[in-house]
Amino acid sequence: MAEVICCGRSIREINSEIKSRIRGGDQQITVKDPGARHNLAVAILEPAHVTIEGSAGYYCGALADGSTVEVKGSAGWGLAESMLNGTAIVHGSAGNGAGAAIRGGAVIVHGDAAARAAVSMKGGLVLIGGSCGYMAGFMGQKGSLIVCGDTGDAFADSMYATVCYVGGKIKGLGTDTVREDLSSQDVEFLDATLERYLPFEIRKSKPAGKAFKKVVSGRRLWNFSQRDRTIWQEAL
Amino acid sequence: MLETSGTFQPGVIEEIQRKAATGIYDIRGYGTLRERRWATFDDLTFLPCSLTRIPLEGYREKCSTKTILGTRHAEKPIELDIPIMITGMSWGALSLNAKTALAKGAAMAGSSNTTGDGGMLRAERDNSKYLIYEVLPSRYGINIHDMREADGIELTIGQGAKPGTGGLLLGSKVSDVIAQQRDLPLGVDQRSPARHPDFLGPDDMVIKVEELREATDGKVPIFIKMGASRVFDDVKLAAKAGADVIVVDGMEGGTGASPAILQEHTGLPALAAVCEARRALEDIGLYGEVQLIIAGGIRDGVDAAKAIALGADAIYIGTAALIALNCNRAIHQIDYHAIGAAPYHCHHCHTGRCPVGITTQDPVLMERLNIDEASERIFNLLRVMTMEIQMLARACGKSDIHHLEPEDMAALTAEASMICGIPLAGTRRVFGS
Repeated sequence: MAEVICCGRSIREINSEIKSRIRGGDQQITVKDPGARHNLAVAILEPAHVTIEGSAGYYCGALADGSTVEVKGSAGWGLAESMLNGTAIVHGSAGNGAGAAIRGGAVIVHGDAAARAAVSMKGGLVLIGGSCGYMAGFMGQKGSLIVCGDTGDAFADSMYATVCYVGGKIKGLGTDTVREDLSSQDVEFLDATLERYLPFEIRKSKPAGKAFKKVVSGRRLWNFSQRDRTIWQEAL
Repeated sequence: MLETSGTFQPGVIEEIQRKAATGIYDIRGYGTLRERRWATFDDLTFLPCSLTRIPLEGYREKCSTKTILGTRHAEKPIELDIPIMITGMSWGALSLNAKTALAKGAAMAGSSNTTGDGGMLRAERDNSKYLIYEVLPSRYGINIHDMREADGIELTIGQGAKPGTGGLLLGSKVSDVIAQQRDLPLGVDQRSPARHPDFLGPDDMVIKVEELREATDGKVPIFIKMGASRVFDDVKLAAKAGADVIVVDGMEGGTGASPAILQEHTGLPALAAVCEARRALEDIGLYGEVQLIIAGGIRDGVDAAKAIALGADAIYIGTAALIALNCNRAIHQIDYHAIGAAPYHCHHCHTGRCPVGITTQDPVLMERLNIDEASERIFNLLRVMTMEIQMLARACGKSDIHHLEPEDMAALTAEASMICGIPLAGTRRVFGS
């Protein structure tokens, strides 16, 4: 277990030391005194576990491939954005755009997520233990978004093929978004995913898989057409 | 005598009736088709040496074209042999052969090419000498490993053909391989977002730029590209955000597909853009420290030399490069006619049925573009454009093309004089000053 101290150092120095220690063979890195600094643990491309002992600012764990970044506090905007693979875990809550544009891996937020969680996600999993703000799932392309609590307005707006699950109330669906019945595979996936990623103390207060609502794209905005005039009016 | 309305001319009538019949706005490629009634680089002329200045020998005396970008913060600035670069055009909008030929031709000339709104193509990297990796709002194909192979990162806020609006790739071009590369369903009309998913304004863009530096260990320059809009303010904000290089793309810039009205009625011309951008950098004391790239309808070394004289460090070309590849060449004419076009009049990039194999994903059409021959043409164009710049620079007495300056030119119109701050030919006055 290696320790990296943030206090009094530039983000370049902090990230350089994290990467240098991983290259040196350390698989467990603890980042002390993070002070909600931006760009902590960006572009970690090895299967190491980086634990941030406090809150992080923007883009924590972003552009990762294969690492695990665990934040023992809350995280700012763009948590794990554009991740290819790996895991980002936030014990507290996350700012806007958690899991934005990820292409794989898992972004796990034990608390709430602000607006546009999972925006433009292209694969992988975004799991919000609490509730999320408006436009979560906006333009989702692939992968799964699970919100255990309530959603904000315009949920899952203008999606391509991301599949969304909501345990609480949906304040409002976005454009070209439809509800779909859960299949047995969906329930199995939800139960297994919640069990895998949420600690029991958090999971015990969440709905079971069968109680979730499934939301997918209505696919009427996928191609330009005047057949569905109302959907285009809403979109425009 | 038949009379025609000055307001509702035949083209206007046809367009209204098309809208009424289809219920769909017009989408096409290429860029603005408007007659150029605004001030352009053609409204400037060079003032070569006579008695007040001594020229260099035009055909032989040394005139440096070396162009260095990213000196502000990057550990490894880009050192190009020439000031003409290939702008970002996506693999998806363009065929694999076109992207590869652009990379190869640019490398032969000692210059760079740029990825585009679809991530990096392996053949593009393998054939490039210098590759700029674009990070766009859509983040299609984003891949940290590709970014770390790049020689520069370009954070794109917008483009000249349609500032403020995201890209378009119609379903006919979202083939299996492109759908896979972009993580999209096959055949969708892909409409890219206009906003980045993880920052909104100039304040958090500062953090974004820092993130991109961290992701590339501070080695390569960070470019910020924008469509020419409120250039004076936007350039200052981009510089404040930490950009090493700022790209301003004028309204004459091309696109693979876009609503036609955006191409025709948004943005500023490249001439105005370069003047505003220079003033902005001078205003904050960063002119020369932050490098400036100008794009948008640059056709030849003359346009490029004028842009450099007005303050640009380098020039992006897009449409001109595609024309060098064979765009609008009078070959395969039946296929032009099949899509309602003709050589010299084709702006049908959006259809995916490019008769010359450039803006298509159809393997049969793509094969029409021979990579080796096409890359040779790109090399030739870049070489001739560079020689044209040198020719003008030598005539103005400059041993380095980057020594060209506004004082080397006169304005041919009052508008150009006002925009450029250059005296109108035949006067000693800068109009509007």
